[in-house]
Amino acid sequence: MLILGIETSCDETSAALVMDGKRVLSNVIAAQLDLLRKFGGVVPEIAARRHTELIGYVIKEAIDSAGKTLADIEAVAVTSKQGLIGCLLVGVAAAKALSYSLRIPIIGVHHIEGHIFASLLSNPQLPLPHLCLTVSGGHTMLLYVQDYCQYKLLGSTLDDAAGEAFDKIAKFLGLGFPGGPMIDNLSKKGNRKAFNFPRPLLRANTLDFSFSGLKTSVINTFKDRIANKERLPLEDIAASFQEAVVEVLVSKTLRAASQHGISAISVTGGVSANRRLREVFADTCQRHGAEVFFPEPSLCTDNAAMIAAAGYARLRCGEVDDINLNVLPSAPLEMQHGS
Amino acid sequence: MKVLGIDTSSYANAVGIVDGNRVLADFAFEAKTDSLEKIVANIDFALKEANLLLEDIEGLGIGLGPGSWTGIRVGVALGKILAFSASKPVAGVPTLEALAYSAGNTPALLCPIISAGTKDIVYAAFYHTKNGVLTRVGEYYVGDVRGLSEIAKEPTVFIGSGVEQYSRLISRARGSPNIIAETIEDTPKGSTVALLAGTCLERGESDDALSLEPLYLKESTARAFLGEYTNSAKAKG
Repeated sequence: MLILGIETSCDETSAALVMDGKRVLSNVIAAQLDLLRKFGGVVPEIAARRHTELIGYVIKEAIDSAGKTLADIEAVAVTSKQGLIGCLLVGVAAAKALSYSLRIPIIGVHHIEGHIFASLLSNPQLPLPHLCLTVSGGHTMLLYVQDYCQYKLLGSTLDDAAGEAFDKIAKFLGLGFPGGPMIDNLSKKGNRKAFNFPRPLLRANTLDFSFSGLKTSVINTFKDRIANKERLPLEDIAASFQEAVVEVLVSKTLRAASQHGISAISVTGGVSANRRLREVFADTCQRHGAEVFFPEPSLCTDNAAMIAAAGYARLRCGEVDDINLNVLPSAPLEMQHGS
Repeated sequence: MKVLGIDTSSYANAVGIVDGNRVLADFAFEAKTDSLEKIVANIDFALKEANLLLEDIEGLGIGLGPGSWTGIRVGVALGKILAFSASKPVAGVPTLEALAYSAGNTPALLCPIISAGTKDIVYAAFYHTKNGVLTRVGEYYVGDVRGLSEIAKEPTVFIGSGVEQYSRLISRARGSPNIIAETIEDTPKGSTVALLAGTCLERGESDDALSLEPLYLKESTARAFLGEYTNSAKAKG
């Protein structure tokens, strides 16, 4: 079954064609990097305007580059839950037009559910059940993936998302946007142990995360050094900050795996592209007899292929929406499935 | 030519179908703050009332705004993809023009007004009408409603929702009696959008579906803050 996926929940305008929830025929992603750099982050109104400009071109390109026609599309899956409301609206309006005119089913997908499938798309051997850590600029979530359409939230961030902390620190250090790759690159040259930044909630008996205290600590260190006219080793600050985030993410995920007796771990979302995070996850998992899976780079950040794959799974679970599908900017992942 | 017209610039889903000058269906469904949920169901309802299928429609008219930013995005995103996927020619219709059309033929100047959401700030434009053909005079206007008094030098019919209150502000600013306030139509009709689009399409003047964009007339505040405020009204001229 050929599914067209559409994703506009934040600042990537994306459309993709995926066959049988497995084979990615096209995955067109128009990022708004120029706008991000200009405004230092996502401005919802501006992002929504850009989606409206691009959505038609992106959908057409996804169909053309896959060598398919509109008539080949058998269903449309669209991110309708979790994201910026004005941005979600554009994708869902486009999906409704396709569903109505082509007389094909429409499936509303939760954005996080998409990230779970990004890993499954890249790693068909990823077993079920598994643990999924979704880390991006908007999310930090630890999920127990029981089966397709059956998820349990084990922990999430109480304040900033991990990627948000990366972005804010990068912005503060004057590294630019997006912060993740900037800090990742700068850290290569830095000493990870130069600064002992806090690891919030690391030892607490919870699988929730917190990154705002770490962020404040980094900013205070930076300010103190300036006030005392001390040397400012940006590489070391970046590497030590990154190490703190990575340690918390890896430790909590491994703890959750051990608590649930699970040895398969999937790490998804924009931050899963982080070099150091991948390295530490691989090492730690090997030592604990666990196996870790990452999406390929093009499926780490927001993209429509993962939405199409999730939509296919929803269809197989017998779930389909009607034409009155609406957006839910802050819907929890679990609620929709009643699990 | 059978044309389906859609306007979501106000807090309603306006859907109309015309065949030439004949109105086959015309509905306005209350949408409050949500243009999206029922828009396709409402289109489907109008088509059924007109005993038509989407396949029978020969062209689309989409209300471009100005108006609710979220509303016009829903309408334009839906409209452009509908035009693309159903292979229909499409024409964008400025909401102000659809409002002006409702005044009919008059020697007076027409000035449709739409609230820009902030106190006394409005979107407006001036039109002359002759034999049912509207010609816009000058640029689109965004600003304090009192500022319209400096532009409207001749007898003017003001049209739109809240226009009586606006007229008082304008006439007080100008001290002139040459004002006719009419709440002829609060919000644009789907059938008017369809009719105006049909006129364009029959002349062979269709818009490119994929590049169709809302007529915001106002930059988002973030952009204005960065000093990037460009007079998009002029740009769209």
